[in-house]
Amino acid sequence: MLIDQEIVLNEILGSADLGIRKLVLKGPIAQQAKPGQFVHLQVGSTLDPLLRRPISIAAIDPECQEITLLYKIKGKGTELLSKAGPGQKLNLLGPLGKGFTLPAQGELWLVAGGIGVFPLYALAAAAKKQGLTVRLFWGGENSSLLECSGLAMWEELGLPLYLSTLDGSCGKKGLVTEFLQEFLQAYRQSDPSPAAAGEPVQVAACGPPGMMQAVTADCLQAGVPVEVSLEEHMACGLGACLGCVATLQDRQGRVRRAKVCQDGPVFRGEEVVWNASC
Amino acid sequence: MPPVDFRTPLAGLNLRNPLVTCSGTYGFGEEYQDYCPPEALGAITVKGITPEPRLGNPLPRITETPGGMLNAVGLENPGLGEFLRSYLPRLRKLPTAVIVNISGFAVEDYVQMARALQSDCGLAAIEVNISCPNVKHGGMHFGTDPQSAQEVIAAVKRETDLPVIAKLSPNVTDIVAMARAVEAGGADAVSLINTLLGMSIDIEKRRPFLANIFGGLSGPAIRPVAVRMVWQVAQAVQIPVIGMGGITVWQDAVEFMLAGASAVSIGTGNFVNPRAPLAILAGIEQYCRKNGLASSRDLVGLAQR
Ligand SMILES: Cc1cc2nc3c(=O)[nH]c(=O)nc-3n(C[C@H](O)[C@H](O)[C@H](O)COP(=O)(O)OP(=O)(O)OC[C@H]3O[C@@H](n4cnc5c(N)ncnc54)[C@H](O)[C@@H]3O)c2cc1C
Ligand SMILES: Cc1cc2nc3c(=O)[nH]c(=O)nc-3n(C[C@H](O)[C@H](O)[C@H](O)COP(=O)(O)O)c2cc1C
Ligand code: FES
Repeated sequence: MLIDQEIVLNEILGSADLGIRKLVLKGPIAQQAKPGQFVHLQVGSTLDPLLRRPISIAAIDPECQEITLLYKIKGKGTELLSKAGPGQKLNLLGPLGKGFTLPAQGELWLVAGGIGVFPLYALAAAAKKQGLTVRLFWGGENSSLLECSGLAMWEELGLPLYLSTLDGSCGKKGLVTEFLQEFLQAYRQSDPSPAAAGEPVQVAACGPPGMMQAVTADCLQAGVPVEVSLEEHMACGLGACLGCVATLQDRQGRVRRAKVCQDGPVFRGEEVVWNASC
Repeated sequence: MPPVDFRTPLAGLNLRNPLVTCSGTYGFGEEYQDYCPPEALGAITVKGITPEPRLGNPLPRITETPGGMLNAVGLENPGLGEFLRSYLPRLRKLPTAVIVNISGFAVEDYVQMARALQSDCGLAAIEVNISCPNVKHGGMHFGTDPQSAQEVIAAVKRETDLPVIAKLSPNVTDIVAMARAVEAGGADAVSLINTLLGMSIDIEKRRPFLANIFGGLSGPAIRPVAVRMVWQVAQAVQIPVIGMGGITVWQDAVEFMLAGASAVSIGTGNFVNPRAPLAILAGIEQYCRKNGLASSRDLVGLAQR
């Protein structure tokens, strides 16, 4: 839908210097939104900046008719967005795209790199509500990044968190993929196999492309299905302009394009051609 | 007061109103269904088709610029065969005029497509893109050399019974010469303008933003250039002009019509406001009423007189 929604809250998350903010909007998009989908926001009322900005829906509360967006101030558009106050209205196009698949049973492992954690929160909440076991593997530069990207929200959700930072200031020192590899290995070696025992694992990942590529490779090796959420520059958000495509390949290696805004942003990891040269 | 008469005769077509959508910005007529459905428009123009399917350019393909955007999609499209098989059956059922935009690299490409696109396909017209700046050796030389432009339009005209609209590039020194050439080639109308060739550089990465380096500039930033060209061309040729380039609100559309455009086409404006064409139509209606004009046709070229 295309609708003006009122800002309930637009506040700093954690320390101000990281420029990460939480934006809560009231309106009927909350009734339709699914984890992994995004909204395309008009950030200004003049012709500069001209285009809308895509932001993931981080939390969905249909009862209160509220969606929460978490965003990092990056350039002109998000800077302008940070100036909008409660009571003001923002024009939203959404919910857009195809979200994550919620498994019917078993475990859902979420793997996040930095602020890639944002869209995973809504998925975690939905999976938990459905009674699935959810684990979050989350890596970032340092403790400050994790804290400013909503660590407290995750702790409240009460899931097992496996944190890692590059400098060791929070959780394990190292990469999120190292943590995940240990779990994947244990999964592969367990006997009887968890999948056969009705406890299959599914992975959902969001973060820098290199990290998602590594996670995909590790999951496929362990026989675990994995979904990734991609980012690309967008104009229309509706599948009309072909500005945002990803490169996919099928089992036979045939390459094709898919629209991140409409066919994604979530894709099966094994389909994605990372660093496509064409 | 009676309703404003929006009927727009153009290149042998009778459009419901003067609002059209630009090729490459409105997909294949499905994408904007919930916001601005095809049946509300005078015509829709679909994404540029080439004889063979194309994957288009590498990413990133778009970047924002002040009051505009650069794109280098590179004519990603399903190709003529797949277009006829999978897209045409649905397009021909749309209760609106459908214009197919074609692009090529050689005259034979245009000829091949024109041969396959006839009035019994249920289409309204062919728009010949002789001006896409985003592909290496694209139609650009047809778009910059009057002689080649005339030849390619004449070749297309020979092959199809559909009205032929020539889409002109602004990346020329003399737009009037180009318009006269396509008129001489038999074009039934002209569309202008396509995007202006540009580029931008990421100063942090010290690399061009777009993978293709160059891209086509569109949006409000190019509007004054487009209005000037519509003005010049409308004076110089007998065939009607479809005006486009940076239209986002009704005032822009009125400006193009006053300059001499018989119809106006919305491109980048759709991205900003998916309902833009509807709002623009409503605005034109108000404007006509306020100024005592019975028909939107009365606006065409008024500023020239
Ligand atoms: C599906 C999707 C979901 C996203 N979810 C979030 C989120 O939940 N939180 C968050 O902080 N950010 C998210 N992003 C990234 C966010 O869209 C960009 O950070 C934002 O558009 C930057 O705008 P700007 O004007 O501040 O930056 P500028 O760099 O000035 O923007 C210039 C242009 O580039 C585009 N752009 C720049 N960076 C990106 C990027 N990384 N991805 C896509 N377009 C970009 C802008 O939209 C704009 O058109 C998401 C992107 C996509 C595609
Ligand atoms: C993303 C994008 C894709 C386009 N693709 C085509 C195309 O395939 N064929 C064509 O003739 N013009 C194409 N154009 C040009 C537009 O049809 C139009 O001429 C131009 O954008 C100027 O209008 P605007 O400023 O309203 O967008 C494209 C423009 C954009 C922004
Ligand atoms: S943003 Fe236009 S097709 Fe995806």
